[in-house]
Amino acid sequence: MNRPPAYIISKASLSAWVEELARAATVIAPTAAHGADVVYDVVESAQDVMWDYTSSLTPLKRFLFPQIEPLLRWRPSPGNGIEIEPTYDETERVFLGVRSCDISAVGFLDRVFMRDREDAYYLARRRRTTLIGLACTQPGENCFCVCADAGPFLDEGYDLQLIDLKDCMLVDVGSEKGAALVEQSASLFSPAPLSLLDVKANLKREAEAHFGEPKAYFSAALRKVTFDQTPDELWEQMADRCLECGGCAFVCPTCTCFLTADWPAEQGGERCRLWDSCLYENYASEASGHNPRAQRMDRLKARFFHKLSYQFAKPLEQHGCVGCGRCITACLGSNDMPTVTARLRRGAL
Amino acid sequence: MENIYVPDVVKIASVKDETYDTKTFSLRFTEPDRWSTFQYRPGQFVEVSVFGVGEAPFCLASRRDGRETFDITVRRTGTVTDQLHRLAPGSHLGVRGPLGNGFPFEDVKGRDIVFVGGGIGLPPLRPLIWEMLESRADFGKITVLYGARTPADLVYKDELELWRSHDDVEFMVTVDMPDETWSDNVGVVGSLFPHVAIDPEQTSAFVCGPPIMIKFVVTDLLALRLDETDIYTTLERHMRCGVGKCNHCLIGDKYVCIDGPVFSYRQMKMMRDPG
Repeated sequence: MNRPPAYIISKASLSAWVEELARAATVIAPTAAHGADVVYDVVESAQDVMWDYTSSLTPLKRFLFPQIEPLLRWRPSPGNGIEIEPTYDETERVFLGVRSCDISAVGFLDRVFMRDREDAYYLARRRRTTLIGLACTQPGENCFCVCADAGPFLDEGYDLQLIDLKDCMLVDVGSEKGAALVEQSASLFSPAPLSLLDVKANLKREAEAHFGEPKAYFSAALRKVTFDQTPDELWEQMADRCLECGGCAFVCPTCTCFLTADWPAEQGGERCRLWDSCLYENYASEASGHNPRAQRMDRLKARFFHKLSYQFAKPLEQHGCVGCGRCITACLGSNDMPTVTARLRRGAL
Repeated sequence: MENIYVPDVVKIASVKDETYDTKTFSLRFTEPDRWSTFQYRPGQFVEVSVFGVGEAPFCLASRRDGRETFDITVRRTGTVTDQLHRLAPGSHLGVRGPLGNGFPFEDVKGRDIVFVGGGIGLPPLRPLIWEMLESRADFGKITVLYGARTPADLVYKDELELWRSHDDVEFMVTVDMPDETWSDNVGVVGSLFPHVAIDPEQTSAFVCGPPIMIKFVVTDLLALRLDETDIYTTLERHMRCGVGKCNHCLIGDKYVCIDGPVFSYRQMKMMRDPG
């Protein structure tokens, strides 16, 4: 029987591996930040990598689709009037120790930016991206990837997936890129004995058991949003709790709304794109002053329609939530995914 | 690598004042070969960059012909249009497009055609009117009804006269508020319907204008027993990226920029913003 190749790497070898990875690329890994926060950030040495963490404050999104991203520079040119030069980020990046929800979200971003019309900026970054996941053996208190089919262990979407077996890491290979990475540092890896498959399966079962009661009852919410069976009063009540801060969108690994802005310089200038949030009052405003989504409840409803409806899930092959739980932390009004889906499920007020 | 966000550079070939707040800009690509690949359909649009200010969407307002220029007709309403109005011939702009779906043409061959334009809603219809007049034999009766708030708000005044004098077109114009020089019809554009003969079975209607005008005209056309699938209109939303990525123009799950901007009334009715 064919099975995807798996290896083991000892914990003692991880430092050497990180250093080898860092020779060829920028390594981004969970690392200690302000207070008790953990964020994905560039690590300078293997000691900076946190192997034991639950989730990072923000997802990988900002590396693949930055909050402010230069698109092009223009400058006056004698021949053409204006010369335009697109600006691509060609940094080679290895993301190491990434949680399953965040790996799943990259798959979602891939479809948003690469389906139909390819987004050259995303593509330039994505092509130079290696994803090394770290399966979740101990979910955090806000985690609900298990409800969103996005973790805690993954079968695809990664180049390599690490599974912490206490004294070593089991390494699942998910792509040719991942296989090549193991090949490059072959002396650090050894083939995993078959017996470890059972160990992995047990760990996965244990991890799933840690989630306890389901947090996000998606299916009723999906159906009601898809068929527009949600009472306006409910949205009105939830909208009353929304501060329009945009925090939910900014921490969300699958939110991708953007706008562009020009920064003129002395000679020419730069056009950037910036994250936007569909909850902002003037999100859909037109030059005439007309605002087709003038009411906050309209915007809130549109946000969850985009996240949950079958109409969007079908082309994107996935709902717009991977259960990372970051909106629970970010939203001061508790309009987070588990709360909203619970209220949609109950229907009545 | 093809890049959907990088504009082509155009030069303003000429500027024409249409009204007190509206100008038509004729644009020419600085890259000579670009024109031959710039194949567009009436009803499609472009994103125009005023570098340093930003981008805004405008419908392609001229028929693609041998001039190797194309028109946009722009009312001064926001930051981009404000700056655009200050520019003279010779200035450079960016253009991305053509974008969007465009009006049906082959599908309505053999039918009577009614165009209903309101104010600044005439520009998207203009290239389609000329294109149909070019293949006049392919269509039945062609009627153009145009309304504006005041005589000063009428665009393409020279062309209105051409259509008025055209043997093969029934043309009528009306204003809501006449001035002392106005001797033509007075009233909203829908008030012209009783003056034209429309065979509901045989007619396809193209309606463009402000949302409130579209709403009333569609009601009138349905009352005349036109089928919902025979009424076409263009929807306005703030299409920022124009390529279905930024999400600003979403209505429900439809992107006005790629699924539209042209929709039949039947499609429009099915579209609902969840809000």
